Amino acid sequence: MKLITEKSIAGQRCATIRPLEVKTETLEKSFLRSELKLPEVSEVTLARHYTELSRRAFGVDTGFYPLGSCTMKYNPKINEEVAGLEGFTHVHPLCEEEDVQGCMQAMYELTERLKAITGMDALTLEPAAGAHGEYVGLMLIAAYHKKRKDSKRTKIIVPDSAHGTNPASAVMAGFEVVNVPSDENQGVDIEALKKVVGDDTAALMLTNPTTLGLFEKNIKEITEIVHNAGGLVYYDGANLNAIMGVVRPGDMGFDVVHLNLHKTFSTPHGGGGPGSGPVGCKAILKDFLPGVVVELDKKGEYVFAKPSHTIGKVMPFFGNFGVCLKALAYIKTLGAEGIKEASQNAVLNANYIKKGIEDLYPTQTGRFCMHEFVISCDKLKAETGVAAMDIAKSMIDNGMHPPTMYFPLIVHEALMIEPTETESKETLDEAIAVLRKLHKEAYENPEQLKSAPHHAQIFRPDEVMAARKPVLKG
Amino acid sequence: MKLMYAKTHEWVAIDGNKAKIGISDHAQHELGDLVFINLPAEGDSIVAGESFCDVESVKAVSDLYAPVSGRIVAVNTELESAPELINSDAMGAWICEVELESEGDDLMDEAAYAEFIK
Amino acid sequence: MANYLTNTDSQVKEMLSAVGVSSLDELYADIPADLKLKKLEIEKGLSQQETLDEMKAMANKNTDYKVIMRGAGAYDHYIPSVVKYLSSRSEFLTAYTPYQAEMSQGILQSIFEYQTMICALTGMDVSNASVYSGATAAAEGVLMTKAGAKTEIIVSDNVNPRNLEVIKTYISQRGMTVTVIPSKNGETDLNALTAAVSEKTACVYTEQPNYYGIIEPATYIGEIAHSKGGKFIMNCNPMTLALLKTPKECGADIAVGDAQPFGLSMSFGGPFLGYMAANDKEVRKLPGRIVGETVDKEGNRAFVLTLQAREQHIRREKALSNICSNQAHCALVAGMYLSAMGTEGLKEVATTCLSLAHYAAEEFKKAGAELKYSGDFFHEFVTVTKAKASKINEKLKKEGILGGLELDKNEMLWCFTETVTKADIDKVADIIRRA
Repeated sequence: MKLITEKSIAGQRCATIRPLEVKTETLEKSFLRSELKLPEVSEVTLARHYTELSRRAFGVDTGFYPLGSCTMKYNPKINEEVAGLEGFTHVHPLCEEEDVQGCMQAMYELTERLKAITGMDALTLEPAAGAHGEYVGLMLIAAYHKKRKDSKRTKIIVPDSAHGTNPASAVMAGFEVVNVPSDENQGVDIEALKKVVGDDTAALMLTNPTTLGLFEKNIKEITEIVHNAGGLVYYDGANLNAIMGVVRPGDMGFDVVHLNLHKTFSTPHGGGGPGSGPVGCKAILKDFLPGVVVELDKKGEYVFAKPSHTIGKVMPFFGNFGVCLKALAYIKTLGAEGIKEASQNAVLNANYIKKGIEDLYPTQTGRFCMHEFVISCDKLKAETGVAAMDIAKSMIDNGMHPPTMYFPLIVHEALMIEPTETESKETLDEAIAVLRKLHKEAYENPEQLKSAPHHAQIFRPDEVMAARKPVLKG
Repeated sequence: MKLMYAKTHEWVAIDGNKAKIGISDHAQHELGDLVFINLPAEGDSIVAGESFCDVESVKAVSDLYAPVSGRIVAVNTELESAPELINSDAMGAWICEVELESEGDDLMDEAAYAEFIK
Repeated sequence: MANYLTNTDSQVKEMLSAVGVSSLDELYADIPADLKLKKLEIEKGLSQQETLDEMKAMANKNTDYKVIMRGAGAYDHYIPSVVKYLSSRSEFLTAYTPYQAEMSQGILQSIFEYQTMICALTGMDVSNASVYSGATAAAEGVLMTKAGAKTEIIVSDNVNPRNLEVIKTYISQRGMTVTVIPSKNGETDLNALTAAVSEKTACVYTEQPNYYGIIEPATYIGEIAHSKGGKFIMNCNPMTLALLKTPKECGADIAVGDAQPFGLSMSFGGPFLGYMAANDKEVRKLPGRIVGETVDKEGNRAFVLTLQAREQHIRREKALSNICSNQAHCALVAGMYLSAMGTEGLKEVATTCLSLAHYAAEEFKKAGAELKYSGDFFHEFVTVTKAKASKINEKLKKEGILGGLELDKNEMLWCFTETVTKADIDKVADIIRRA
């Protein structure tokens, strides 16, 4: 397909603006740039180009999207309408508080609800994405130890099953990373943890459910071990969709948590953003929060308050406000009971698929998974040569988005499946049937899978060439 | 000249007080198509057993560990734009040359290495 | 209430029995009973209709300014209908990061086109797929320049204070320091800058136009930055790049900024769109996603996420940044906006902003206001008025006009875009005259 720049024909015009009503101002020549080349297309060319691009994109609205750890649930359309209300979109961020009471109310209401869901005492909406939230959470921890003059605490403990963002965020916040192995049940190895915690421990970062989709049963003991050593415990909210309304990070002993509104609260992912990564914390950390928080004063007016020992700003204004509106609309519609049902059904759907395929694809048995589970194609690969990647690519031929591949790193040939609560039994049955069929085909006709996809937009791309000789613009 | 291998799959060709370093053919095969090498700088000192460089394939990055200690006197900058040379000729594609200070522990000769990777 | 679940009660029962349990609660057997939440303390769910009504009521509480004469980092521009409608297609909205190239060519190509247009605007060699905002782009750009003993950033005090705050947060744990030098008549003081740069200087960071709207002597700033081996980072309002010298032409190593003016509403400050572009040499340090062009096994054009081994999910604690998601949908909007405007259209918008601002400055002067700085400006400028800024803004509010940002008791930072009419400006001039 041609690029929009390749469809450009000099002189074609699309959008137009009001003619200039005053004298044309010209700049001194030394200020001026050389030639500018942007696409020049008519409106119909533009409309067809982007419609074609949209047909070459696959979203939750296109089909089943069981991408583990990403919570690809249905994105209600009311979210879009709410965020698109002119009373919200046409608001400049630098206004007097009295002019933006509606925006501040939205921020306040979302903050309160997210605090209730996570069991935290305070929360900021400023971080723009999950990784940004991780960074902020760790900066709070750094500021906390610093204020207490506990300068030895330079290490963040991260399980070997953690997402790569965790250690990267820890380094961004100035920490060193210590890895702790998983035990035979693929939970945190308590004995190993006891060995690594000490007076240099700043915090432990954890997801619960773990990246294997299992609830960490020893969570209370784990958080106590870290607290007793003087460290704090960080909750990576990537997997919150399993437990909303059932159990709260705050009650498990976590001190700080980041959420992903684009995952758990359906704000859509937008092809990779914008997201929003609010950070909640216990009272001991609230004075360090970034930017401003909204408070409700005695007169019933919303006011901005700057935390007394703030780590500073991480976004120019109030974060991705438009995304926050979508999450608020979602939570308002679901309410307390709907939120819990969402998690319960996410867990049911995951267990239902797991049950349907676990005789063919090895996974954790003997326990219920949470909202997602990890299968291994190790045996399949050894016996047929068909790898996790080949199963994934073959799913594309069956009209489904592949699961997350090769994560977590501790499982060989891993595929991580997260169906989410909004999928129907029919869809889940179809997914089970497809995965069973592919398993059979792997033994009968492995070459077919190894060269998949056959009916996609493109065949497998040459990623080696893309990286060796990068072509990064048209 | 003496050719030795480290357990971490780097080779070192020692010639007097100079030593050239690369990665073994076995290693390049395991790593797959290399797309980039993060070369060390001339003048840097490297320490046996410590990471001195990393190589990237499409979906992985791997540290390379120094088989010997010494100061880098030359770097094979050709690899900067053509890391694939390591895939096509691992033994020819030297990464850097050092002024040798000391050899690392547990270096193997060719036969021992061949046995090691069996 | 609505919960967006699909299955009926009897289907749920069927599934429960397939899994081997009789209730949903049993699935949570791993969670210790004493940890379980008794009751989630949030309101009951509303119908969609009620939710929409509540959210509309909230939106209506905000003051409805018909005319915006304020910028300072957020800009009110006309957004063509075609951009709003096409970008809201749900295939774009409901997709994830394009990990699976075979079914994500549309998203990947839209990012590649965005990168292409950012390179065209900035003149730089490479662009990433975007970051969270212009401020975080600036902060990530600054971090790219840390090298050995080069750990100091030099900025003039005429940069956007919010951008500087974000930079300060980002460097606070990374062993970098920032030195702020005083500006002269609102512009970067080249003598002060020359005196400030040293072997320790990792970079000089400049905004174009600067916070006061003034066009900076960027080429000279770049030369001074480079004189001691430091890098030169320019943060440009990309709308002004329709006319102004590109960062490349000014000698910048890294160009950053916020592309919100390209089709994104102000939305109380977000989501916006941080762009980052750099010279070829810097590409491996550039954080975030990058899309590249390649071919599939049949030689068809294909787009993929590339140079991924730079990123956190592979490099873990050795990654230069932790960024995962970009602002992909915002980048899609910006690409669409630039295509809808085209070269001539974008120049028209920029020229209109420039001309209206200069008209306003003249009219405000006639009305008794003074310009605080004498330097050439683009579409923002600072006035000093006899009347208090707050008093002027109060009067403007009654007319549905959001006036300039109050920098001091009598100082206002104004911004003019194509959304403002001559009549609006005349009205404001009149109010200034009578205030």
